[in-house]
Amino acid sequence: MSGDSAQPPAAPARARPADTAPIPLLEGIRNEDKTWEKLAPRYGVTNPDPPWKVSLYATCECLAAGAALPALERRHAEDQLGESVYSGTPAPEQQLLALAHIMLSRGLLSEDDLTRRMHAVRSRLEAS
Amino acid sequence: MQHSHEHDHGDHQHPAAPMVDEITDFEVLEIAVRELAIEKGLFTAEEHRRFTEWAEQIGPAAGSRLVAKAWTDPAFKARLLDDAVAACREIGVDWTEPTGSGTPSDYMNLRVLEDTPTLHHVVVCTLCSCYPRPLLGHSPYWYRSPNYRRRIVRWPRAVLTEFGLNLPSEVEVRVEDSNQKCRFMVLPVRPAGTENWTEEELAEIVTRDCMIGVALPGPSRKSDDIRPVHKASRPVPGDHQRAEAGK
Amino acid sequence: MESNDAKTVPARFNVGDRVRVRDLPNLFYTRTQMYVRGVSGTIAARTYEDLIPEDEAWNRDEAPREQYYIVRFRQKDLWEDYPFDNDTLQTEFPDRWLEPVSG
Repeated sequence: MSGDSAQPPAAPARARPADTAPIPLLEGIRNEDKTWEKLAPRYGVTNPDPPWKVSLYATCECLAAGAALPALERRHAEDQLGESVYSGTPAPEQQLLALAHIMLSRGLLSEDDLTRRMHAVRSRLEAS
Repeated sequence: MQHSHEHDHGDHQHPAAPMVDEITDFEVLEIAVRELAIEKGLFTAEEHRRFTEWAEQIGPAAGSRLVAKAWTDPAFKARLLDDAVAACREIGVDWTEPTGSGTPSDYMNLRVLEDTPTLHHVVVCTLCSCYPRPLLGHSPYWYRSPNYRRRIVRWPRAVLTEFGLNLPSEVEVRVEDSNQKCRFMVLPVRPAGTENWTEEELAEIVTRDCMIGVALPGPSRKSDDIRPVHKASRPVPGDHQRAEAGK
Repeated sequence: MESNDAKTVPARFNVGDRVRVRDLPNLFYTRTQMYVRGVSGTIAARTYEDLIPEDEAWNRDEAPREQYYIVRFRQKDLWEDYPFDNDTLQTEFPDRWLEPVSG
């Protein structure tokens, strides 16, 4: 999907260096290492991408469209994080961790809120 | 007569399409980030649904033409509700391709579910991901996910809200669990504000999600939009306007 | 799918009939969901005649065909505490998975 290319190249992203200090919540998720490339073969699934990838893409696009997080700034920070904290993680998971990291370090989300919401989401998905 | 209300996780032993049937923290993180962003007003659930649909769409679905024709031609609508497979041939969709008797997963039993102002249908397959492929192409990722399959039958209104669709309680929500050989497509209500539109114009607003039942068609939304565009909550010069100009 | 001269079990139900979903043991393969077992609903449509999934899964093409039905349930009958009176759910069964509800 090359949706990003529809973004204007204008507004030279003020190359604000990303905050690359590890975030405990995200470190925990990264260390579990339940990445799609490891899980898919275990379940005999051949789809190359995790099902949430397109939703993550849409979240990034929505954040850019609403100007909460311009696409160029996001990708710049993704690059920096991908070369540092999340260097060993494959692409879709790396993009997801990077997005959460950027939103946390910019105060768009708080770590407490995110932790609580993850618990709530998990119990909803596991509810019967 | 109330049996134990254990939810159906029983499909594990059946030979449905393989799924990663494990909820990972990556999946949970993606949902949590999105929901918090929506709650903070950075974007809406409906906007997110539209971007997702747009990203997955290969082109206007054949089903869109079917709906538009039913909206403009009452006799065709009657034929469609009576024998949908035959009506599909009128718009050039042949359910017997390529095997002559329907492909094993598409079969030949299409039923069109007609919405009314007081009845809204939404389609799921709780066992795997049965879907009217000759009309709508391949199913979207979320349609195949255990999250949707398990929850839409149990909490349909909550799940529809996650797609940005809130229906008043007077409207009957009818979930169609497509567990056997029938395939289903929703015929939505033609929206107000489209009175003088041509069939071609109408087809453009009937997006895939409207025919699954997780969205409603509206006069301002088209399936071939370059990309979904909405007013920026905190506008940055250039961004929004350029996306508009790209149409 | 061949539709040669396979036998067909006589259909027992018509649109509008009240039926209950039987809670038969799962013999290796079924497409009858757990969440509808034992719940009563109304026949909404007669759909087609075909092999039942339990035979089809074993390629028993000579097995008798059965009528399939779409059954409509009230969500309140499926789930305790379901909050919306009017909401419904439909799903499909071959004849043998249904039993008549008297009255």
